[in-house]
Amino acid sequence: MITKRAVMVIFLLEFVKTRRMASKKEETVSFVLRFTQKIFETDDGEQNVQWRGNVKHVQGDDEKRFTEFEDAVGFMQEKLTDLTIKGIEDKSPKEQKGILAKNFELWKKMTMESQKLVFDVIKDPKKQLAQMQTQVSQLGDTFTQQIEEKIGQKIDVDEWRASSKSDHKNLIDVIDKLSKDVARLHKKVDKIGKTKK
Amino acid sequence: MSPTDQFTDLLNSRKTKVIQVDTFGQFQMRRDNVLLKEKEWGRDKSIQLFQFFLTSRNRRALHKEQIADRLWEDIAGKSIDQTFKVTLHGINKVLEPNRERRSDPKYVIRQGITYQLSIADMWVDADVFEQFIRIGNEQINQDEQLARQAYSSAIELYKGVYLPNRMYEDWSSAERERLQLLALGTMVTLAELLVEENPMESIRLSQQALQIDNTWEDAYRIQMNAYFKKGNRPMAIKTFKLCEKILDAEFGITPLPETKQLMQLIQSA
Repeated sequence: MITKRAVMVIFLLEFVKTRRMASKKEETVSFVLRFTQKIFETDDGEQNVQWRGNVKHVQGDDEKRFTEFEDAVGFMQEKLTDLTIKGIEDKSPKEQKGILAKNFELWKKMTMESQKLVFDVIKDPKKQLAQMQTQVSQLGDTFTQQIEEKIGQKIDVDEWRASSKSDHKNLIDVIDKLSKDVARLHKKVDKIGKTKK
Repeated sequence: MSPTDQFTDLLNSRKTKVIQVDTFGQFQMRRDNVLLKEKEWGRDKSIQLFQFFLTSRNRRALHKEQIADRLWEDIAGKSIDQTFKVTLHGINKVLEPNRERRSDPKYVIRQGITYQLSIADMWVDADVFEQFIRIGNEQINQDEQLARQAYSSAIELYKGVYLPNRMYEDWSSAERERLQLLALGTMVTLAELLVEENPMESIRLSQQALQIDNTWEDAYRIQMNAYFKKGNRPMAIKTFKLCEKILDAEFGITPLPETKQLMQLIQSA
Protein backbone atom coordinates (compact mmCIF):
# COMPACT_ATOMS: atom_id res chain seq x y z
CA MET A 1 0.00 0.00 0.00
CA ILE A 2 1.07 3.53 -0.67
CA THR A 3 2.65 5.53 2.18
CA LYS A 4 3.06 2.42 4.29
CA ARG A 5 6.07 3.79 6.13
CA ALA A 6 5.01 7.31 6.70
CA VAL A 7 2.04 8.78 8.43
CA MET A 8 1.38 12.12 6.87
CA VAL A 9 -0.70 14.81 8.42
CA ILE A 10 -1.73 17.85 6.44
CA PHE A 11 -3.23 20.95 7.94
CA LEU A 12 -4.36 24.08 6.28
CA LEU A 13 -4.13 26.88 8.78
CA GLU A 14 -5.66 30.15 7.85
CA PHE A 15 -5.53 33.40 9.74
CA VAL A 16 -7.97 35.97 8.48
CA LYS A 17 -7.74 39.51 9.69
CA THR A 18 -10.29 42.31 9.66
CA ARG A 19 -12.51 41.84 6.65
CA ARG A 20 -12.98 45.52 6.07
CA MET A 21 -9.37 45.84 5.05
CA ALA A 22 -8.44 46.10 1.36
CA SER A 23 -8.51 42.79 -0.53
CA LYS A 24 -8.41 39.23 0.74
CA LYS A 25 -4.81 38.62 -0.33
CA GLU A 26 -3.66 41.41 1.96
CA GLU A 27 -5.55 40.19 4.99
CA THR A 28 -5.18 36.45 4.92
CA VAL A 29 -2.18 34.32 5.73
CA SER A 30 -2.56 30.60 5.04
CA PHE A 31 -0.17 27.78 5.78
CA VAL A 32 0.00 24.17 4.68
CA LEU A 33 1.70 21.99 7.27
CA ARG A 34 2.98 18.56 6.36
CA PHE A 35 4.24 16.08 8.93
CA THR A 36 5.95 12.84 7.98
CA GLN A 37 6.44 10.35 10.77
CA LYS A 38 9.40 7.97 10.78
CA ILE A 39 9.43 5.15 13.28
CA PHE A 40 12.72 3.31 13.48
CA GLU A 41 15.02 1.26 15.67
CA THR A 42 18.24 2.89 16.77
CA ASP A 43 21.61 1.15 16.68
CA ASP A 44 21.23 0.14 20.33
CA GLY A 45 17.86 -1.48 19.65
CA GLU A 46 15.65 1.26 21.03
CA GLN A 47 12.44 2.24 19.26
CA ASN A 48 12.44 5.84 18.15
CA VAL A 49 10.14 8.25 16.35
CA GLN A 50 11.02 11.28 14.28
CA TRP A 51 8.79 13.92 12.77
CA ARG A 52 9.89 15.69 9.62
CA GLY A 53 7.82 18.68 8.78
CA ASN A 54 7.30 21.22 6.10
CA VAL A 55 5.36 24.43 6.43
CA LYS A 56 4.36 26.34 3.28
CA HIS A 57 3.22 29.95 3.20
CA VAL A 58 0.49 29.86 0.57
CA GLN A 59 0.36 33.54 -0.42
CA GLY A 60 4.14 33.95 -0.47
CA ASP A 61 5.09 30.55 -1.86
CA ASP A 62 8.03 30.20 0.55
CA GLU A 63 8.48 27.27 2.86
CA LYS A 64 10.48 25.94 5.77
CA ARG A 65 11.38 22.44 6.80
CA PHE A 66 11.56 21.52 10.45
CA THR A 67 11.95 18.72 12.95
CA GLU A 68 11.15 20.92 15.96
CA PHE A 69 7.62 22.29 15.91
CA GLU A 70 8.79 25.61 17.37
CA ASP A 71 10.54 26.30 14.06
CA ALA A 72 7.24 25.95 12.21
CA VAL A 73 5.49 28.19 14.71
CA GLY A 74 8.35 30.71 14.40
CA PHE A 75 7.95 30.72 10.62
CA MET A 76 4.20 31.30 10.90
CA GLN A 77 4.70 33.93 13.57
CA GLU A 78 7.07 35.80 11.30
CA LYS A 79 4.55 35.87 8.44
CA LEU A 80 1.64 36.84 10.64
CA THR A 81 3.63 39.50 12.45
CA ASP A 82 4.47 41.02 9.04
CA LEU A 83 0.75 41.25 8.40
CA THR A 84 0.04 42.66 11.85
CA ILE A 85 2.73 45.32 11.42
CA LYS A 86 1.15 46.36 8.14
CA GLY A 87 -2.22 46.53 9.88
CA ILE A 88 -1.18 48.78 12.78
CA GLU A 89 0.88 51.39 10.99
CA ASP A 90 -1.69 54.10 11.66
CA LYS A 91 -1.89 53.42 15.39
CA SER A 92 -0.11 55.40 18.03
CA PRO A 93 3.16 53.91 19.36
CA LYS A 94 1.39 53.07 22.61
CA GLU A 95 -1.40 51.20 20.78
CA GLN A 96 1.13 49.44 18.55
CA LYS A 97 3.05 48.33 21.61
CA GLY A 98 -0.12 46.95 23.21
CA ILE A 99 -1.16 45.07 20.09
CA LEU A 100 2.27 43.59 19.51
CA ALA A 101 2.57 42.55 23.15
CA LYS A 102 -0.78 40.78 22.84
CA ASN A 103 0.47 39.21 19.61
CA PHE A 104 3.51 37.75 21.37
CA GLU A 105 1.37 36.47 24.27
CA LEU A 106 -0.94 34.66 21.88
CA TRP A 107 1.93 33.09 20.01
CA LYS A 108 3.52 31.96 23.25
CA LYS A 109 0.26 30.25 24.19
CA MET A 110 -0.09 28.74 20.75
CA THR A 111 3.47 27.38 20.79
CA MET A 112 2.88 25.62 24.11
CA GLU A 113 -0.56 24.27 23.13
CA SER A 114 0.62 23.14 19.71
CA GLN A 115 3.50 21.14 21.17
CA LYS A 116 1.10 19.27 23.42
CA LEU A 117 -1.17 18.56 20.45
CA VAL A 118 1.71 17.16 18.39
CA PHE A 119 2.75 14.88 21.25
CA ASP A 120 -0.84 13.65 21.59
CA VAL A 121 -0.90 12.78 17.90
CA ILE A 122 2.37 10.89 18.16
CA LYS A 123 0.88 8.78 20.96
CA ASP A 124 -2.26 7.87 19.06
CA PRO A 125 -2.35 9.32 15.53
CA LYS A 126 -5.79 8.14 14.40
CA LYS A 127 -7.63 9.02 17.57
CA GLN A 128 -6.01 12.36 18.07
CA LEU A 129 -5.87 13.66 14.53
CA ALA A 130 -9.43 14.96 14.34
CA GLN A 131 -9.12 16.45 17.81
CA MET A 132 -5.84 18.13 16.88
CA GLN A 133 -7.32 19.66 13.75
CA THR A 134 -10.21 21.06 15.76
CA GLN A 135 -7.95 22.44 18.46
CA VAL A 136 -5.50 24.03 16.03
CA SER A 137 -8.43 25.58 14.21
CA GLN A 138 -9.84 26.93 17.49
CA LEU A 139 -6.47 28.38 18.41
CA GLY A 140 -6.34 30.12 15.05
CA ASP A 141 -9.85 31.50 15.52
CA THR A 142 -9.09 32.78 19.01
CA PHE A 143 -5.94 34.40 17.75
CA THR A 144 -7.69 36.03 14.83
CA GLN A 145 -10.56 37.25 17.00
CA GLN A 146 -8.26 38.82 19.57
CA ILE A 147 -6.12 40.51 16.97
CA GLU A 148 -9.27 41.86 15.32
CA GLU A 149 -10.52 43.23 18.63
CA LYS A 150 -7.20 44.89 19.29
CA ILE A 151 -6.65 46.32 15.84
CA GLY A 152 -10.16 47.67 15.47
CA GLN A 153 -12.10 47.95 12.29
CA LYS A 154 -10.57 50.56 10.11
CA ILE A 155 -7.03 50.36 8.89
CA ASP A 156 -5.81 53.01 6.50
CA VAL A 157 -3.49 51.05 4.25
CA ASP A 158 -2.63 54.10 2.11
CA GLU A 159 -1.36 55.93 5.13
CA TRP A 160 0.84 52.99 5.99
CA ARG A 161 2.22 52.96 2.46
CA ALA A 162 3.15 56.62 2.85
CA SER A 163 5.03 56.00 6.10
CA SER A 164 8.63 57.10 6.28
CA LYS A 165 11.77 55.06 6.87
CA SER A 166 12.05 56.52 10.35
CA ASP A 167 8.51 55.24 11.09
CA HIS A 168 9.64 51.78 10.10
CA LYS A 169 12.76 52.11 12.22
CA ASN A 170 10.68 53.20 15.21
CA LEU A 171 8.44 50.22 14.75
CA ILE A 172 11.37 47.83 14.54
CA ASP A 173 12.79 49.39 17.72
CA VAL A 174 9.43 48.85 19.46
CA ILE A 175 9.35 45.21 18.33
CA ASP A 176 12.93 44.72 19.45
CA LYS A 177 12.18 46.23 22.86
CA LEU A 178 9.06 44.09 23.17
CA SER A 179 10.98 40.93 22.34
CA LYS A 180 13.45 41.76 25.09
CA ASP A 181 10.59 42.51 27.51
CA VAL A 182 8.99 39.16 26.72
CA ALA A 183 12.33 37.39 27.27
CA ARG A 184 12.76 39.18 30.61
CA LEU A 185 9.21 38.20 31.61
CA HIS A 186 9.93 34.58 30.71
CA LYS A 187 12.92 34.61 33.03
CA LYS A 188 10.91 36.15 35.84
CA VAL A 189 8.13 33.57 35.44
CA ASP A 190 10.70 30.75 35.46
CA LYS A 191 12.33 32.20 38.56
CA ILE A 192 8.98 32.48 40.38
CA GLY A 193 8.18 28.90 39.36
CA LYS A 194 11.49 27.64 40.75
CA THR A 195 11.06 29.62 44.00
CA LYS A 196 7.63 28.05 44.55
CA LYS A 197 9.06 24.55 44.19
CA MET B 1 -16.87 -5.83 -13.91
CA SER B 2 -13.42 -7.35 -13.35
CA PRO B 3 -10.57 -5.14 -12.09
CA THR B 4 -8.81 -5.55 -15.45
CA ASP B 5 -11.92 -4.35 -17.30
CA GLN B 6 -12.25 -1.44 -14.88
CA PHE B 7 -8.65 -0.48 -15.60
CA THR B 8 -9.08 -0.76 -19.37
CA ASP B 9 -12.27 1.30 -19.29
CA LEU B 10 -10.56 3.97 -17.25
CA LEU B 11 -7.59 3.99 -19.59
CA ASN B 12 -9.87 4.62 -22.56
CA SER B 13 -12.29 6.93 -20.78
CA ARG B 14 -10.89 10.26 -21.95
CA LYS B 15 -12.10 10.08 -25.52
CA THR B 16 -15.56 8.94 -24.48
CA LYS B 17 -16.35 12.19 -22.63
CA VAL B 18 -17.46 15.47 -24.17
CA ILE B 19 -15.79 17.54 -21.45
CA GLN B 20 -12.14 16.75 -20.64
CA VAL B 21 -10.32 18.68 -17.95
CA ASP B 22 -6.60 18.75 -17.18
CA THR B 23 -5.63 20.20 -13.83
CA PHE B 24 -2.08 18.87 -13.35
CA GLY B 25 0.74 21.14 -14.49
CA GLN B 26 -1.57 23.43 -16.42
CA PHE B 27 -5.31 23.99 -16.49
CA GLN B 28 -6.85 23.06 -19.80
CA MET B 29 -10.33 22.14 -20.91
CA ARG B 30 -11.44 20.38 -24.04
CA ARG B 31 -14.97 20.19 -25.39
CA ASP B 32 -15.58 17.56 -28.07
CA ASN B 33 -11.79 17.04 -28.18
CA VAL B 34 -11.16 20.70 -29.02
CA LEU B 35 -9.01 22.74 -26.68
CA LEU B 36 -10.88 25.78 -25.37
CA LYS B 37 -9.11 29.12 -25.41
CA GLU B 38 -9.13 31.30 -22.33
CA LYS B 39 -11.17 34.00 -24.03
CA GLU B 40 -14.03 31.54 -24.51
CA TRP B 41 -14.62 31.69 -20.76
CA GLY B 42 -15.22 35.41 -20.98
CA ARG B 43 -13.83 36.29 -17.58
CA ASP B 44 -11.30 34.78 -15.21
CA LYS B 45 -13.92 34.57 -12.46
CA SER B 46 -15.75 31.87 -14.46
CA ILE B 47 -12.57 29.80 -14.75
CA GLN B 48 -11.91 30.34 -11.05
CA LEU B 49 -15.44 29.27 -10.02
CA PHE B 50 -15.26 26.20 -12.25
CA GLN B 51 -11.90 25.27 -10.69
CA PHE B 52 -13.39 25.81 -7.24
CA PHE B 53 -16.26 23.44 -8.11
CA LEU B 54 -13.70 20.90 -9.35
CA THR B 55 -11.73 21.21 -6.11
CA SER B 56 -14.91 20.68 -4.09
CA ARG B 57 -16.03 17.72 -6.23
CA ASN B 58 -15.88 15.24 -3.33
CA ARG B 59 -17.67 17.48 -0.87
CA ARG B 60 -21.28 18.35 -0.29
CA ALA B 61 -23.02 21.02 -2.35
CA LEU B 62 -22.22 24.58 -1.36
CA HIS B 63 -24.35 27.66 -0.87
CA LYS B 64 -23.42 30.55 -3.15
CA GLU B 65 -22.63 32.74 -0.13
CA GLN B 66 -20.13 30.15 1.09
CA ILE B 67 -18.58 30.02 -2.37
CA ALA B 68 -18.39 33.80 -2.64
CA ASP B 69 -16.85 34.01 0.84
CA ARG B 70 -14.04 31.68 -0.23
CA LEU B 71 -13.45 33.26 -3.63
CA TRP B 72 -14.48 36.90 -3.64
CA GLU B 73 -14.20 38.34 -0.20
CA ASP B 74 -14.21 41.86 -1.56
CA ILE B 75 -17.74 41.35 -2.89
CA ALA B 76 -20.64 41.63 -0.45
CA GLY B 77 -24.42 41.96 -0.22
CA LYS B 78 -26.46 42.10 -3.41
CA SER B 79 -23.31 42.13 -5.53
CA ILE B 80 -22.75 38.48 -4.58
CA ASP B 81 -25.98 37.42 -6.33
CA GLN B 82 -25.14 39.38 -9.44
CA THR B 83 -21.51 38.24 -9.61
CA PHE B 84 -22.47 34.62 -8.96
CA LYS B 85 -25.20 34.69 -11.61
CA VAL B 86 -22.95 36.15 -14.29
CA THR B 87 -20.02 33.89 -13.40
CA LEU B 88 -22.15 30.74 -13.35
CA HIS B 89 -23.69 31.71 -16.66
CA GLY B 90 -20.14 31.91 -18.05
CA ILE B 91 -19.42 28.34 -16.92
CA ASN B 92 -22.68 26.90 -18.28
CA LYS B 93 -22.08 28.64 -21.60
CA VAL B 94 -18.68 27.03 -21.94
CA LEU B 95 -19.77 23.57 -20.80
CA GLU B 96 -23.03 23.46 -22.75
CA PRO B 97 -23.08 26.10 -25.49
CA ASN B 98 -26.08 24.50 -27.20
CA ARG B 99 -28.23 23.94 -24.14
CA GLU B 100 -31.87 24.78 -24.69
CA ARG B 101 -33.18 27.82 -22.85
CA ARG B 102 -34.84 27.09 -19.51
CA SER B 103 -33.52 23.51 -19.45
CA ASP B 104 -31.49 22.41 -16.43
CA PRO B 105 -27.72 22.50 -16.75
CA LYS B 106 -26.14 19.06 -16.98
CA TYR B 107 -22.93 19.72 -15.10
CA VAL B 108 -23.48 22.43 -12.52
CA ILE B 109 -26.30 21.01 -10.46
CA ARG B 110 -28.47 23.29 -8.39
CA GLN B 111 -30.17 21.75 -5.36
CA GLY B 112 -32.35 24.35 -3.70
CA ILE B 113 -29.93 27.07 -2.72
CA THR B 114 -26.77 25.01 -3.13
CA TYR B 115 -24.57 24.20 -6.13
CA GLN B 116 -22.32 21.30 -7.03
CA LEU B 117 -20.41 20.15 -10.07
CA SER B 118 -21.34 16.72 -11.40
CA ILE B 119 -18.25 15.14 -12.91
CA ALA B 120 -19.84 11.76 -13.70
CA ASP B 121 -20.05 12.74 -17.37
CA MET B 122 -16.68 14.50 -17.47
CA TRP B 123 -13.11 13.32 -17.71
CA VAL B 124 -11.04 15.03 -15.01
CA ASP B 125 -7.38 14.03 -14.74
CA ALA B 126 -7.24 14.43 -10.93
CA ASP B 127 -10.25 12.15 -10.52
CA VAL B 128 -8.98 9.51 -12.96
CA PHE B 129 -5.55 9.72 -11.25
CA GLU B 130 -7.14 8.76 -7.93
CA GLN B 131 -9.16 5.95 -9.52
CA PHE B 132 -5.96 4.44 -10.98
CA ILE B 133 -4.33 4.57 -7.54
CA ARG B 134 -7.39 2.95 -5.98
CA ILE B 135 -7.19 0.06 -8.48
CA GLY B 136 -3.45 -0.24 -7.78
CA ASN B 137 -3.97 -0.36 -4.02
CA GLU B 138 -6.78 -2.90 -4.33
CA GLN B 139 -4.78 -5.18 -6.65
CA ILE B 140 -1.35 -4.96 -5.04
CA ASN B 141 -1.81 -8.33 -3.27
CA GLN B 142 -4.10 -9.89 -5.92
CA ASP B 143 -2.61 -8.98 -9.28
CA GLU B 144 0.70 -7.15 -8.96
CA GLN B 145 1.06 -6.70 -12.71
CA LEU B 146 -2.26 -4.88 -12.90
CA ALA B 147 -1.35 -2.82 -9.84
CA ARG B 148 1.88 -1.73 -11.54
CA GLN B 149 0.01 -0.73 -14.70
CA ALA B 150 -2.52 1.23 -12.66
CA TYR B 151 0.18 3.05 -10.66
CA SER B 152 2.09 3.78 -13.84
CA SER B 153 -1.01 5.23 -15.51
CA ALA B 154 -1.63 7.45 -12.48
CA ILE B 155 1.94 8.78 -12.54
CA GLU B 156 1.65 9.48 -16.24
CA LEU B 157 -1.32 11.75 -15.51
CA TYR B 158 0.52 13.70 -12.81
CA LYS B 159 2.19 16.32 -15.02
CA GLY B 160 2.80 18.85 -12.26
CA VAL B 161 1.09 20.47 -9.32
CA TYR B 162 -2.68 20.78 -9.19
CA LEU B 163 -4.00 24.05 -10.69
CA PRO B 164 -0.68 25.93 -10.68
CA ASN B 165 -2.40 29.17 -11.71
CA ARG B 166 -4.21 29.17 -8.32
CA MET B 167 -1.06 28.55 -6.30
CA TYR B 168 -1.57 31.66 -4.18
CA GLU B 169 -5.28 31.10 -3.54
CA ASP B 170 -5.76 29.16 -0.34
CA TRP B 171 -8.96 27.33 -1.34
CA SER B 172 -6.87 25.12 -3.63
CA SER B 173 -3.94 24.45 -1.25
CA ALA B 174 -5.24 21.43 0.65
CA GLU B 175 -6.22 19.61 -2.56
CA ARG B 176 -2.86 20.46 -4.18
CA GLU B 177 -1.01 19.06 -1.17
CA ARG B 178 -3.19 15.95 -0.94
CA LEU B 179 -2.72 15.10 -4.62
CA GLN B 180 1.01 15.76 -4.48
CA LEU B 181 1.40 13.35 -1.56
CA LEU B 182 -0.59 10.74 -3.45
CA ALA B 183 1.70 11.20 -6.46
CA LEU B 184 4.85 10.96 -4.32
CA GLY B 185 3.58 7.82 -2.58
CA THR B 186 2.66 6.21 -5.91
CA MET B 187 6.04 6.96 -7.49
CA VAL B 188 7.91 5.51 -4.52
CA THR B 189 5.66 2.43 -4.31
CA LEU B 190 6.06 1.66 -8.02
CA ALA B 191 9.79 2.33 -7.86
CA GLU B 192 10.06 -0.21 -5.04
CA LEU B 193 8.02 -2.80 -6.94
CA LEU B 194 10.33 -2.45 -9.97
CA VAL B 195 13.73 -2.57 -8.20
CA GLU B 196 14.48 -6.21 -9.09
CA GLU B 197 12.85 -6.43 -12.49
CA ASN B 198 13.59 -3.00 -13.94
CA PRO B 199 16.13 -1.04 -11.84
CA MET B 200 16.51 1.70 -14.47
CA GLU B 201 12.81 2.54 -14.33
CA SER B 202 12.99 2.33 -10.56
CA ILE B 203 15.79 4.92 -10.59
CA ARG B 204 13.82 7.17 -12.94
CA LEU B 205 10.75 7.06 -10.71
CA SER B 206 12.79 7.74 -7.56
CA GLN B 207 14.36 10.74 -9.25
CA GLN B 208 10.93 11.96 -10.29
CA ALA B 209 9.80 11.77 -6.66
CA LEU B 210 12.94 13.61 -5.51
CA GLN B 211 12.25 16.38 -7.99
CA ILE B 212 9.01 16.98 -6.13
CA ASP B 213 10.52 16.64 -2.65
CA ASN B 214 14.29 16.31 -2.38
CA THR B 215 14.06 15.15 1.26
CA TRP B 216 11.98 12.04 0.50
CA GLU B 217 14.37 9.54 2.07
CA ASP B 218 12.55 6.41 0.85
CA ALA B 219 13.23 7.52 -2.72
CA TYR B 220 16.99 7.81 -2.03
CA ARG B 221 17.03 4.34 -0.49
CA ILE B 222 15.17 2.77 -3.43
CA GLN B 223 17.51 4.51 -5.84
CA MET B 224 20.57 3.21 -3.94
CA ASN B 225 19.12 -0.29 -4.06
CA ALA B 226 18.38 -0.03 -7.79
CA TYR B 227 21.92 1.17 -8.60
CA PHE B 228 23.29 -1.64 -6.46
CA LYS B 229 21.18 -4.24 -8.29
CA LYS B 230 22.54 -2.89 -11.56
CA GLY B 231 26.05 -3.34 -10.19
CA ASN B 232 26.71 0.40 -10.11
CA ARG B 233 28.20 0.80 -6.61
CA PRO B 234 29.68 4.27 -7.18
CA MET B 235 26.27 5.74 -8.07
CA ALA B 236 24.63 3.96 -5.12
CA ILE B 237 27.23 5.51 -2.77
CA LYS B 238 26.87 8.90 -4.46
CA THR B 239 23.09 8.72 -3.91
CA PHE B 240 23.62 8.06 -0.21
CA LYS B 241 26.03 11.01 0.06
CA LEU B 242 23.48 13.27 -1.61
CA CYS B 243 20.75 12.05 0.75
CA GLU B 244 23.02 12.71 3.74
CA LYS B 245 23.83 16.21 2.47
CA ILE B 246 20.23 17.18 1.74
CA LEU B 247 18.84 15.89 5.05
CA ASP B 248 21.55 17.75 6.92
CA ALA B 249 20.96 20.97 5.00
CA GLU B 250 17.15 20.88 5.19
CA PHE B 251 16.50 19.33 8.61
CA GLY B 252 19.86 19.10 10.36
CA ILE B 253 19.45 15.31 10.72
CA THR B 254 21.23 12.18 9.52
CA PRO B 255 19.63 9.44 7.38
CA LEU B 256 17.60 6.71 9.08
CA PRO B 257 19.41 3.58 10.36
CA GLU B 258 17.75 1.60 7.54
CA THR B 259 19.43 3.84 4.95
CA LYS B 260 22.79 3.71 6.74
CA GLN B 261 22.61 -0.09 6.96
CA LEU B 262 21.97 -0.29 3.23
CA MET B 263 24.99 1.94 2.66
CA GLN B 264 27.15 -0.39 4.79
CA LEU B 265 25.88 -3.37 2.83
CA ILE B 266 26.75 -1.68 -0.46
CA GLN B 267 30.20 -0.67 0.76
CA SER B 268 31.02 -4.11 2.07
CA ALA B 269 29.82 -5.95 -1.04
